[in-house]
Amino acid sequence: MTLTADERWDLIEKISNKVVTFSKFKHTLKDALGELTVKPLTGIPIAIAVLYGFWSVFSSFAGTLCTDGFFVKLFDGHFLPWIQSVFPGKGGWFYYIFVGDPAADNCFEAFGVLTSGLFVAIGVVLPAIFIFYLMMALLEDVGYMPRLAVLIDTIFHKIGLHGYAIVPSILALGCNVPAVTATRILETKKQRFIMMTLLAIFIPCGAQLGIMQEVIPESIGIVLLYLIFGYFLFGFILNKITPGKSPEILIDVPPYQKPLWNNISRKLRMRLGGFFKIAVPFVLFGCAIVNILYLSGTIDWLARVLTPLLTGWFGVPGETVGPLIAAFLRKDLAVAQLSAIEMSKYQMITSVVLVSIYFPCVATFVMLLKEGWKNLLGSLAVLVTVIFLYGGLINVIWKLLGVQ
Amino acid sequence: MNEKIGRIYFGVLGIITLIFGITDLIVTIGGNDFSWGILEISSDMFRGGWGGLIVISAGLFYLSSLKNFLEIHQFSKALMASILIWILAGTDIFVRITESIPGGEDGPWFNSLEGFLSTYAPPYPPVIFLLPFSLVILFSLSKRKKA
Amino acid sequence: MKKILLMGNPNVGKSVFFNRLTGANVIESNYPGTTVDYTKGYMKGNSEDFEIIDVPGTFSLEPKDKAEEVAVKMLEEKKDALVICVIDASKIERGLYLALEIIERGYPVVLALNMWDVAEDKNIQIDIEKLKSILNIPVVPTIAISGKGFKEVVLSIKKAASVGVKEIMEKVGEIK
Ligand SMILES: Nc1nc2c(ncn2[C@@H]2O[C@H](COP(=O)(O)OP(=O)(O)OP(=O)(O)O)[C@@H](O)[C@H]2O)c(=O)[nH]1
Ligand SMILES: [Mg+2]
Repeated sequence: MTLTADERWDLIEKISNKVVTFSKFKHTLKDALGELTVKPLTGIPIAIAVLYGFWSVFSSFAGTLCTDGFFVKLFDGHFLPWIQSVFPGKGGWFYYIFVGDPAADNCFEAFGVLTSGLFVAIGVVLPAIFIFYLMMALLEDVGYMPRLAVLIDTIFHKIGLHGYAIVPSILALGCNVPAVTATRILETKKQRFIMMTLLAIFIPCGAQLGIMQEVIPESIGIVLLYLIFGYFLFGFILNKITPGKSPEILIDVPPYQKPLWNNISRKLRMRLGGFFKIAVPFVLFGCAIVNILYLSGTIDWLARVLTPLLTGWFGVPGETVGPLIAAFLRKDLAVAQLSAIEMSKYQMITSVVLVSIYFPCVATFVMLLKEGWKNLLGSLAVLVTVIFLYGGLINVIWKLLGVQ
Repeated sequence: MNEKIGRIYFGVLGIITLIFGITDLIVTIGGNDFSWGILEISSDMFRGGWGGLIVISAGLFYLSSLKNFLEIHQFSKALMASILIWILAGTDIFVRITESIPGGEDGPWFNSLEGFLSTYAPPYPPVIFLLPFSLVILFSLSKRKKA
Repeated sequence: MKKILLMGNPNVGKSVFFNRLTGANVIESNYPGTTVDYTKGYMKGNSEDFEIIDVPGTFSLEPKDKAEEVAVKMLEEKKDALVICVIDASKIERGLYLALEIIERGYPVVLALNMWDVAEDKNIQIDIEKLKSILNIPVVPTIAISGKGFKEVVLSIKKAASVGVKEIMEKVGEIK
C-alpha cells in the first residue's frame, strides 16, 4: 500500500506528535552570528571581509612565500642552469622540447617541458592550489558557502538562477571539472545549461588564479572584474533567450560547525592527488605540444594567418597563438606562456581575458561532453559569440580610454 | 562586564575604528601612503580601499551593537566587528610572516635573524592598533558564558 | 553480496556514514548537494560482507533534479537492497517523509537519527523507543562525526525487515 503525499504528511504529523517534544529553543550566539552573515546589510561587508582574507592569505602564501620566496630561486638559480648544462644534444629538437631556450635565464622564458612545464606546475600552481583548496575546504566545512548563497540569491534571481547556483560557481573557482558535475543539483535543463556555460566561460580556476597572481599581480583585479561583469551580463542575456523555466528552491542553511581537521586533510589530499594525476601531466604534455608546433613552424604560420584577427580585432600580438593553443590543455600554462611575450600592460590584460573566456580546458570539455552533447554544442555557440563580442569589447574599451 | 561599561568601551572603540576606516579610504583616494610615527596607512587599493571599507563596517557594527548591548543579537554584532578586525589584522600579520621567512632574491635560502625580526618592526597599519582593543570582546564573551 | 543503500535528505551526513563504514574517501561538506553521483564501497560485517552505496541526497522519491534522479534510480535498480535511511534528527519530519516512501515501496529500512548532537543543542527530544514501536523498524540515534551509534546501526542491519504502512498507521492510533 502506498500513500498520497497528503496522507503521508498526515501520518508524519501524528508520529511526531507522539515522539518529538520541542522544548523552548533559545537563540544561541552561533545562531545570532549566522543571521548576521545572511542579512544583506551586515552580510555583504562580512562577505567582503571573508573574500579579502581569502585572497590575502592566498597571494601571500602562494606568491610571496612559496613561489617568490623559494621556488623561483630553486628553479631559476639552480635547476635551470643545471639542466641546461647537463641535458644532452644542445641545439637539437629534443633539447628544444624538453629544456627549451638554452640561453634563457628564467623558467618562464625557457619554454621547455622540464623547465617551464615543471616550474609552472610545481613552483607556481601547486602552492596556489594547496592553499586555495585548504581555505575552500575550511569554508565548506564551517558552513559559510550556503550563507554566501543566500546572500547572493537576490542578484542571482535577476539572472534566472536561484542562489544555489553560487555553489557550482564557487566550486569552479577551485576547478571547473567538479563544478560541472555539481550543476546537477539545479532543477531544470535551462538552469543547468546556463550555469555550465557561464562557469566554463567566465570562472577562472584556482590554478589559473595562482599563475595570474604571479605574473600580473597589479592587473588581476581588472581581469577578475571584467570576468565577473561578463558572468552577470551573459547570465542575464542567456536567461532571457534560453527557453524553459527557472524555478526557485528554498535554500537550506545548515548550522555553523567546527571544521573537522580529519575531513579537511582528507579532502586536501584527494584534491591534490587529482592535481598530480591529471593536471601535472597535462601541463607537461601541453608544453611539449606547443614546442612541437613551434618547431614544425605551425605556430609561425598560424600567427601569420591569424594576426589580422588577433591584432585587428583583439589588439593583441600574433605570437599569442602559442599560448592560445596551450589554453586548450591548461589555462595556467597558457597564462605563463603569455608572460614571456613582449606586449603592453593592456594587451596583457586583454590576452589573459581571452585565455580565460576561450575554450574550456580539455578536462572541463570532457565533463561538459559527459553531461550531454547538445548542451555542449549550445555552450560552444555561446562561447564563440562571447569570445568575439566580449573579447573584442575590451579592446574597444582600451581604444576609447586611449591606452592602446 | 556590566552593560554600562561595555557600552562606553565599545562606543569609543567603534568611533575610533570608524575614524581609522575613513582615514584609510581618504588615503587610498589621495594615492600616497600616509605615515605618522609608528602608524602607516597604505594607499594600496586592496589594503587601503577594500580594507578601509571593512574597517568602516567594523566600526559601524560596534556602534550599532550599543543599544541593549547584552542582548544576544546586539552582542553578536560587536563580536562580528571584532572578527572583522581579526581577519584584517590576522592577514596583515600573515603577510609579514610570509615575507620574513625567505632570504630575498639574491640572498641565502632563509632570512637572517635580524632580517626576520625587522619584518615585524613598526610602522603598523591601523588594524594592528585596533587588534588588542578588539580582543576585549573575548573577555565580555567569557563573562556572558558564566552568567 | 548484500547491498545497502545510504539514503536521506541532502546534508544529513550520509557521506560521513559512508566513509566511516567503508573506510572510503568521498567528499563531505557542510552544504546540501555535495554528493551528486553514487559511490560504491565495501564493509566487513561480523558474519557477512556488504556492498554499501552512498547515494545523493533527496527529499522525496519524485526527483526534482538530476542528483535526485540518480538516487531514485539507484533505489529502483537495487530491488533486493536494504536501506539505511539517514535522517537529521533536528528536522525529523522531512526525513520521515522520505523514510516512509522507502518503507512503502517494501524495502527493509534501518533508521539512523543522525545529528543527534544538533537536536540536543536545539532542545529537541525524541522518544526512540516509541518511534521504534510505531515504525516497527530499528531506529538508532547517531552522531556520524564522532561515530556514536555506528555499532548499533551495523548490528541492526540483521533485524531490518519490510513493514507495511497500514500497520504503522494502526500503531500510531494505539500508542499513547
Ligand atoms: N554536528 C554534526 N554534524 C554532522 C553529523 N553528521 C554529519 N555532520 C556534518 O554534516 C555535514 C554534511 O555531511 P555529508 O556527509 O557531506 O552529508 P550528505 O548527507 O552526504 O550530503 P549530500 O551529499 O549533500 O546529500 C558535514 O559538514 C558533516 O561534518 C553529526 O552527527 N553531527
Ligand atoms: Mg554526500
